[in-house]
Amino acid sequence: MVYLAKKSTEMKIKILVFYPIFILSILFLAVSCEESSHNNLDDIDDVELNDDTSGVDSEHVDRVTKIFYNIPSPIEMATIMQQAGATYNSEILNSVDNLEKYTTIATSALNLGVYGADLSYTRMFDQIQESVNYLSVLRKLSDRLGIPQDEGSFAVGRIEENIDNRDSLLMIISETYANADTYLKENDRESTAALIIMGGWIEALYVSASIINEDNQDDIIMKRIAEQKYSLQNLIELLNIYKDDQDIAEYIPKLDDLKLSFEKIEIIKSGAEVKTDTVNQVTSIGGDTQVNVTFEHIKEIKDKVGKIRTEIIS
Amino acid sequence: MKRIISVAVFLIAFLGLVNSGSAQCKGFTKKKCLPQLEPYVYNGQLNSAVLNEGDIAELLLTFYGGQDYRIYICSQEVLGNIEFKLLDTDRNTIFDNTEQNSIDHWDFSANSTQQLIVQVKVPENTSMNEIVASGCVSILIGFKE
Repeated sequence: MVYLAKKSTEMKIKILVFYPIFILSILFLAVSCEESSHNNLDDIDDVELNDDTSGVDSEHVDRVTKIFYNIPSPIEMATIMQQAGATYNSEILNSVDNLEKYTTIATSALNLGVYGADLSYTRMFDQIQESVNYLSVLRKLSDRLGIPQDEGSFAVGRIEENIDNRDSLLMIISETYANADTYLKENDRESTAALIIMGGWIEALYVSASIINEDNQDDIIMKRIAEQKYSLQNLIELLNIYKDDQDIAEYIPKLDDLKLSFEKIEIIKSGAEVKTDTVNQVTSIGGDTQVNVTFEHIKEIKDKVGKIRTEIIS
Repeated sequence: MKRIISVAVFLIAFLGLVNSGSAQCKGFTKKKCLPQLEPYVYNGQLNSAVLNEGDIAELLLTFYGGQDYRIYICSQEVLGNIEFKLLDTDRNTIFDNTEQNSIDHWDFSANSTQQLIVQVKVPENTSMNEIVASGCVSILIGFKE
């Protein structure tokens, strides 16, 4: 009798303690495996479908464990545009007054990217007060996304201290982006990180394309915009990894449509080769690129990216 | 009964460790690797993963003409000297660090805009040790203003 009672108690403990733990473990394992395959195998499937400029072929993909896609940061885009001779126009930027519209995770992430691009642009043209305003909204959107700021980062009062220092401002912007990207990826919120990247790229392209009009058909700027053809390909590949996310899935067809416009631009490249200048100790990757782009191409891109951008900031 | 609970606790702890490996890898990158990019500006995108010996990872990105870049490969010591190559989209090798004393970074100027591939490979274990080495590898990109 005592034995039966003991056995019954053991059974109850098994049912109440062990089985739930066991089931939780299996679920945990299943989620981990799904996430792992999401990060690795899905990337590879996506790449196999792609036959153009990505440079990843199916024969090769079998051996690759992980594929990353990077998009130029808004800081780099602003640098390139300034070097190309772009001028400053505050009217094309997203107003900081729109901040209160962004209450969801997706709109906050997309517009963190948008405002980051605008900040990179205002900084590049030494617009101090505008930069202060954009840094302030970046901080608020970071808070909304639950991204903690590192000790010593701009959240702890460095804005006022460094805002008149262009290099420090660069460090602050770079730190903000890196902190957001790292934190979100550390916490399995990679799709949110991808939305920030997408928002930043769209805004940087929109700002660049807005410089071009019938009175200003600057060849160098149009060529720089045309070169975004490659980055768009990488962005689409990146977003496809998270295509199960409804917010991301919504934008993939729109970017595919934008890609059709970029495909009308012909970029002819010769083979890349490394040259080393032993006197100046500089290594360079050579190879010529011919970009056949017209005002009509840019106008079409400007119209399409403008529509995507309006959806993001509205 | 104690044994059952112990096994269950061990199982959960083990799975937790596996899952946290990825997060720890990103923490490693942030603390140990990012400072090595200076004076280049980090492009803000974290490319890190836990790899085993023999694994290959690739990063696709566009390098812009007229810009200066640093590619920095950061890894945990247990993996040995990571091999890395820069390839064009036809998979021709532009740079191979095994021909340069296995250096962990490469600085260069891009004369024209092109899509390139950074490929990293964790070397195979050639010793008699049968334990498969596993560790964090990060591919970091910096540019100059």
